[in-house]
Amino acid sequence: MTNYLDALSVLLLVSAFILMGNKRIGSYIKTFQFQSALVALLTGIIGISSFAQDGRIDVLIICAVVIGIKVLFIPYLLKKTYAKVAYRVEKDFFLNIPILVLICCLMVVFSYFSFAETMGINTGTINNQIVNSFSVILIGLLFMISRKKAIGQIVGFLVIENGIFVTALFATHGMPFIVDMGILMDILVAVIIMGIMVFRIDEKFGSINVDNIKDLRG
Amino acid sequence: MSDMILYFIVQTGFVILAAPLVNGIIKKIKALSQKRTGAPVLQMYYDLFKLFKKTSVVSDVSSWIFRVTPYIVFATAVAAAMIVPVTTLIKPVWNTGDVILLVYILALGRFFMMLAALDTGSTFGGMGASREAMISALIEPSILVSLITVGLIAKSTAVFPIMTFMQTVQNPLIHPVYLMIFCALLIVIIAETSRIPVDDPSTHLELTMVHEAMLLEYSGRSLALMELAAAIKQLVFITLLVNLFLPHDQLIGIHGIAAIGISLLIYLAKVFIAALLIGIVEVNTVKLRLFSIPNLAALSFILSFIGFLQFFAFGG
Amino acid sequence: MGYVLLTVPLLAVVLFIVLKKKHLQHVISVAASVTMTIAAGFLTWAVLKGGFIEYSAWGGFFRVDALSVIVIDIVVIISLMTSIFSVGYLENEIKHEKLTTDRMRIYYVLMHAFIFTMLLALTVKNIGIMWVAIEATTLASAFLVGFYNGKEAIEAAWKYIMICSVGIAIALLGIIFLQFSSLAVLDSSQFLDWTAMIDHATELQGPTLRLAFIFILVGFGTKAGLAPMHTWLPDAHSQAPSPISTLMSGVLLNGSMYGIIRIVAIVNRSFGNSMFVGRILIAVGILSVVTAAVFIFSQKDYKRLLAYSSIEHMGIIAIAIGFFTPVSLFGGLLHMINHSFTKSMLFLSTGNILQKYNTREISKISGLFKMLPVTGVVFLLGLFAIGGTPPFSVFASEIVVISAIFQEKNFLVGGLLILLLAIIFTGIVVTLFKLFYGTDIPKETPPGELNIPGVIVIVLLLGIITVMGLYIPNELRILIDQAVEIVIGG
Repeated sequence: MTNYLDALSVLLLVSAFILMGNKRIGSYIKTFQFQSALVALLTGIIGISSFAQDGRIDVLIICAVVIGIKVLFIPYLLKKTYAKVAYRVEKDFFLNIPILVLICCLMVVFSYFSFAETMGINTGTINNQIVNSFSVILIGLLFMISRKKAIGQIVGFLVIENGIFVTALFATHGMPFIVDMGILMDILVAVIIMGIMVFRIDEKFGSINVDNIKDLRG
Repeated sequence: MSDMILYFIVQTGFVILAAPLVNGIIKKIKALSQKRTGAPVLQMYYDLFKLFKKTSVVSDVSSWIFRVTPYIVFATAVAAAMIVPVTTLIKPVWNTGDVILLVYILALGRFFMMLAALDTGSTFGGMGASREAMISALIEPSILVSLITVGLIAKSTAVFPIMTFMQTVQNPLIHPVYLMIFCALLIVIIAETSRIPVDDPSTHLELTMVHEAMLLEYSGRSLALMELAAAIKQLVFITLLVNLFLPHDQLIGIHGIAAIGISLLIYLAKVFIAALLIGIVEVNTVKLRLFSIPNLAALSFILSFIGFLQFFAFGG
Repeated sequence: MGYVLLTVPLLAVVLFIVLKKKHLQHVISVAASVTMTIAAGFLTWAVLKGGFIEYSAWGGFFRVDALSVIVIDIVVIISLMTSIFSVGYLENEIKHEKLTTDRMRIYYVLMHAFIFTMLLALTVKNIGIMWVAIEATTLASAFLVGFYNGKEAIEAAWKYIMICSVGIAIALLGIIFLQFSSLAVLDSSQFLDWTAMIDHATELQGPTLRLAFIFILVGFGTKAGLAPMHTWLPDAHSQAPSPISTLMSGVLLNGSMYGIIRIVAIVNRSFGNSMFVGRILIAVGILSVVTAAVFIFSQKDYKRLLAYSSIEHMGIIAIAIGFFTPVSLFGGLLHMINHSFTKSMLFLSTGNILQKYNTREISKISGLFKMLPVTGVVFLLGLFAIGGTPPFSVFASEIVVISAIFQEKNFLVGGLLILLLAIIFTGIVVTLFKLFYGTDIPKETPPGELNIPGVIVIVLLLGIITVMGLYIPNELRILIDQAVEIVIGG
């Protein structure tokens, strides 16, 4: 089972890299969907094992909710938002992709060394899964600042959230049930609100390029 | 001594004989998926046979490099085939088959191929050579990082010990390190064997061709040698991939000639699966723009690099 | 009583959606706030007598002690003031056709949803749920920040929701590590329960706890407006409607600070005498005060200026918590109360000014005393108060904090803080005193107050801060002492 979790953690990391290499908003959303499917798979595996061990079904319920919210609903919502706003193909990032991807690599190295030095986490295999999921968080942050479109930033936020969710799964095999549910609901509402904001930005600024949004300073 | 002869026969004779078959299978898969009957699986053998009988035409302006290149390319391909064992049941007597040697033997062949392409002075040759140089320079880091990572785990950089080590690994493909290296090598193979996202082996459209552009001036026996060398190189890479990541020799409990025979049969089955995979990839993807190839190469490098990092994290 | 406190705002939200009459909405809003205040009063009384209240429902889900009661009281009193103020404010907006009745309903719904989430964060004892509630405050207030739908308001709202969501996500990571550090000690029913964590603090895994603290500080610090994570704050405070700015400055920042204090209590208990937490908090606090001191001089917008002042005061509270002595914590909590009331008064006054002059630019306003006689005086006195002049309450708590710093013999930080406070006071005076005098008043609008309930509210707040500056009620002193004891440990 640890083997499968290891492999999934690496696949999650790879999906974050693929996201960083994407150029179009449509493919951001698809990659995010893929990543969420991996998260759901991971939740499912942990859910089944916890069910087999002591008959708890809460992780399995969370898995179902993850599928419903992250794999199906949020990508659908983002696609709908994306279809409605004015679309122009522009250069979307401030560094070119290979450099961004190399920075991602450095961040994986960074998180590896920073966690290798932290005692307490460094016990057994959990450590390495945490390194991978923490790297996903860092890559999500980099993605957020490297993309100029509002939807790109939402996807970045969601990737950070995915990374954190997975870190929670790896580190603790699930937070308390009600906390997990609360987190997922919060994300859902946050994405809906952000989607509405994107419409408003599009309406007021004529594009969803967040570079235009810089009136307020100092 | 008998082991050495057996190894020699299997690694050269068997690989050279099987190499064109892989091409045939890939072409057949492509044809079938396009609802064509396609050429017979053995078509490449007929082509090579025909070409070997013909004399080759050599341009007046070309130098000795042009004439000698087919032999060098073929020799390097066969030498590479000698390094990568198709089965670990036959022990090679010598132990020089290093992964770095493997990579640079192939690079030597490629170097001469590019020289020959420039030698004739044709525009396509130069263009193909420059593109090939670019692709190989981009792909080289990832192939070295991948192979050396596996080497670090096996505590040897020679191919044979690495492969025997891999026989002891249970299910390498769910292990994070090997999974990453496998994906990286898959991209490497596609780039190295001039397959579709990188290069189109069946096109002679000057805008897109890379490998074919370098062979344009060749004819007759020289062309046959070049094509056979390309096929061997492809099989060498496929062998590397399937024998590293789908080890099978531990499944066979017996020893001796029978075991070797079974091993070779399983090996052929694996090669067939790999050919199937490559064929499916070829059918389902479009050729990338030349300037998008760095992204693919970067992806491959990243995968191998993550694999390398995971090695530090997870161990072998 | 605690249940009443939580159900009333929820009930109010439902009523706002169901009942569409305009006047009814005002009545519901004020009535809900009054009920909450009364409930909070009873709760405070119970805590004063019993130390803490734990509710048995949902396996001991809710727990209120002195520390949470202090913040709850701040929240409900400021909500009450804001609700009363909003009546006049919204009526004026509707009269000038800046608002429709429908949008007013949305305003009330979101405002009470915001108050509910804040109260939820303060009453639960599970840190995870506290996180969920604090994130929900962001979501509830995001549309309120962008309420006017102008270009700048949308920009502020976007920055607010993106920065705060990411920041708070990082806090979640910290909470995960917090749970990780306790895995060996607590059983699954106690996970993330801060009472259990404080009880077992010394057994938690140290290095993981450090990591957890840093992430949580970054996360909740973003919401609390500590530099360098403060960038959303001036935008959001300046673009939101004035009552909402009041709620954010007086309620939201304190709620996040409450989260930080809870974590600091656990981490410091675990590390004993180590200054690990203290150093970070003091550094962040000083940085916040410096940021405010630098930016206040260049402000052209009076609401932005007040927002920077909020950053400054959050910095002071962070420093006070960082020193972690009984005196400094007492000062910090007192400062939290005093700052909330003073800053609420100021932001509510800006609501009146904004409606009168229709501009946020300092240079376009003059003759405030003539145009708005009461608001003008209150605003002037409020500026003195927030700058830290006696006899107002901010002065009192700042003196407590600074004397606590000097008691710790940390003359560098103490001296620096005094210097920076002086600079900020100068900055406020230099920048804002242009507002009050001058004869260049707009001709088209006659002088006089527009928002009579609003004026009553700000005068009331002025009274509170003046009295608090001279005399701290005994009950409050006991309450704060109890809270300090909870944080430091008996």
